[in-house]
Amino acid sequence: MRADMLTSILNELNGTSADIEASAVISTDGLMMAALLPAGMDEDRVGAMSAAMLSLGDRTATELARGGLEQVLIKGDTGYVLMIGAGEDAVLTVLAKPDAKLGLIFLDVKRAAEATTKLV
Amino acid sequence: MSSVNYAELTQYAKSFTGLTPDREALLVELAPDIVPQLELVTDRFYQTLQDIPQTASHLEGRLDSLRTTHRQWLESLFSGPYDEDYTRQMYNVGSVHVRVKLPVEFMSGGMTLIQGELLPVVAAACEGDTARMAAAMQAINAILGFSLLVMQESFQSGTLAEELDRFLAISGMSRKLFDNLASAYAA
Repeated sequence: MRADMLTSILNELNGTSADIEASAVISTDGLMMAALLPAGMDEDRVGAMSAAMLSLGDRTATELARGGLEQVLIKGDTGYVLMIGAGEDAVLTVLAKPDAKLGLIFLDVKRAAEATTKLV
Repeated sequence: MSSVNYAELTQYAKSFTGLTPDREALLVELAPDIVPQLELVTDRFYQTLQDIPQTASHLEGRLDSLRTTHRQWLESLFSGPYDEDYTRQMYNVGSVHVRVKLPVEFMSGGMTLIQGELLPVVAAACEGDTARMAAAMQAINAILGFSLLVMQESFQSGTLAEELDRFLAISGMSRKLFDNLASAYAA
């Protein structure tokens, strides 16, 4: 039931922008809770890598005196990876196109993370 | 550490180092001639370590207890049994070496010293019987190699575990997350 509700949040998020290619909710231990990923993308790897990056981002923000972590953004040749905490126990990961309008995506992802927080 | 299969490790180390039942029996057979000389072997071993600056610093304040332990271990080389309990003891010695942060080369260097010190003792015990002396040295090589292999196995595991703990502490990752990450990328 919770997985269905999380998937519903992801569906809504992916529908807000054509620039969002995939999204997933992952436990901070790296286990997939819900995902809308492209075929062929390994859920276990996406989950574990996302949680690891969020953990490193959190530690980096603290060590470099940037305060509490809000998000981790990675830009590659073929797009973005955006990770944001969803409460204490989950991570929302979004994959976006390289020419995505990040400002709008940040807003939509933040809303989705807040909705996710209420469920996890 | 608790997940170590000592039975398997014992067989592996024996097969690798040639510690055969015949050699085990010969080691025990040599005991009456060699054990009385082991105090001297320990003396010379620690004297050499005290003469090497890099090793001497690790002996300060611990020499008496180390000598006692070393002497007991040397005697166990000629008493057997060379079983899982012996493997477990040697594994623990390797773990202690990691805990007190001894450099890895101390183990192989130490074994080489001991082998060198035992050579004249064995020669005297064999009284010119070159075939027996050769067999005795092969048996001693085997038990020292066995012991070293087990200690190095432990040292490697212990060192990796310490490095992983350090990485997790620095990165903020939980052990469970690391396990899941490793599992996701397992072949």
